Amino acid sequence: MDDMRGVWQKQSAEDSAVSLEEVRRQARRFRGTIFWRNVREFLVLALLTAWFGLYAWKSPFPVMRAGNALTVAGLLYAAYQLHKRASAAAAPADMARKTCLGFHRAQLERQRDALRGVWRWYLGPMVPGLAVIAVAAGMAGFERSWSAGLVVVLFAIAGAVLYFGLGRLNQGAARQLQRQIDLLDELEKETR
Amino acid sequence: MEETESIAARSAGQEELYRGAAAAFGASLGRLARAYEADAGARRDLLQEIHLALWRSFESFDARCSLRTWVYRVAHNAATSHVGRQRRRRAVMLESLEDLEAVPDRGEGRCAPDERQALDRLLALIQQLKPLDREVILSYLEGMDAASTAEITGISAGNVANKIHRIEQILARRFHEGERHG
Repeated sequence: MDDMRGVWQKQSAEDSAVSLEEVRRQARRFRGTIFWRNVREFLVLALLTAWFGLYAWKSPFPVMRAGNALTVAGLLYAAYQLHKRASAAAAPADMARKTCLGFHRAQLERQRDALRGVWRWYLGPMVPGLAVIAVAAGMAGFERSWSAGLVVVLFAIAGAVLYFGLGRLNQGAARQLQRQIDLLDELEKETR
Repeated sequence: MEETESIAARSAGQEELYRGAAAAFGASLGRLARAYEADAGARRDLLQEIHLALWRSFESFDARCSLRTWVYRVAHNAATSHVGRQRRRRAVMLESLEDLEAVPDRGEGRCAPDERQALDRLLALIQQLKPLDREVILSYLEGMDAASTAEITGISAGNVANKIHRIEQILARRFHEGERHG
């Protein structure tokens, strides 16, 4: 079989060169991508916080002010979690410290846990604030007229359905990832 | 000031490690990229991804394993992630060594191939394989022993030896039958 190894190792190396400058450029570009992703996330968070914060400050209704303040707290918590999880995902040396199966299992587990816990760390923290806002808006609507109150209730129901639908989609994606992890486990059992 | 100096020293160390690894394993990494990606354009991207992953990994090289094991683990992990993304796009099915052993040769080996043909067929065979089997066959072709392959892949040396035995049988069947028939 040494001849096959010879054929393999004799391959031309002309297209396998990557210059140091190219790698440096790629590394700069990678750092730039991460920087701008963080800036984007921060801007979205800043805009949402400003929006809800403004209502928390300016709204004439105390219940509405409380709902907006709670939503701001939920947004800040979700942003902190997002930042923490993104930092954990970007540990470059993991690629070397883990074997191929271990690395991919860890990647899948991390994604699965993020999706499974989406109510705890992403969607959930905003629920109390949004629920209080919906109640306050409903109360204000019904004070004006029945029809205005009903419109607010319908909007709140549609919002809640969408919100819970998003949660269910995440749970479904987590189950799919679990199936992939189970397949990897079977593969690992077969190979040990 | 001290922190700036420490960052600069780490950065110089990272570059030195990368340079050393690229000089020692650059050609092997090129072959590894060929084994994972058939398309020339995508292969160039893969090779750059591997080198970038290697560069980034050296931010925190801890010498708990040899440089070779470190380099190959990073390269295989980066390449397997690449193949995973490509598979989702192209819907490619991968096979295990056991599957390939069971499949009869489709006749390509009926004439003695020249080196170019042999290499093309070898690459096609490797690109069909599941990640772990691909790691083992590449380590074998690069001339590593079972213990080194076991360190890179994380499976036992006995299991590596068993897989290498299968690889040798498959290669013998596919690449030497032709010489006997021809």
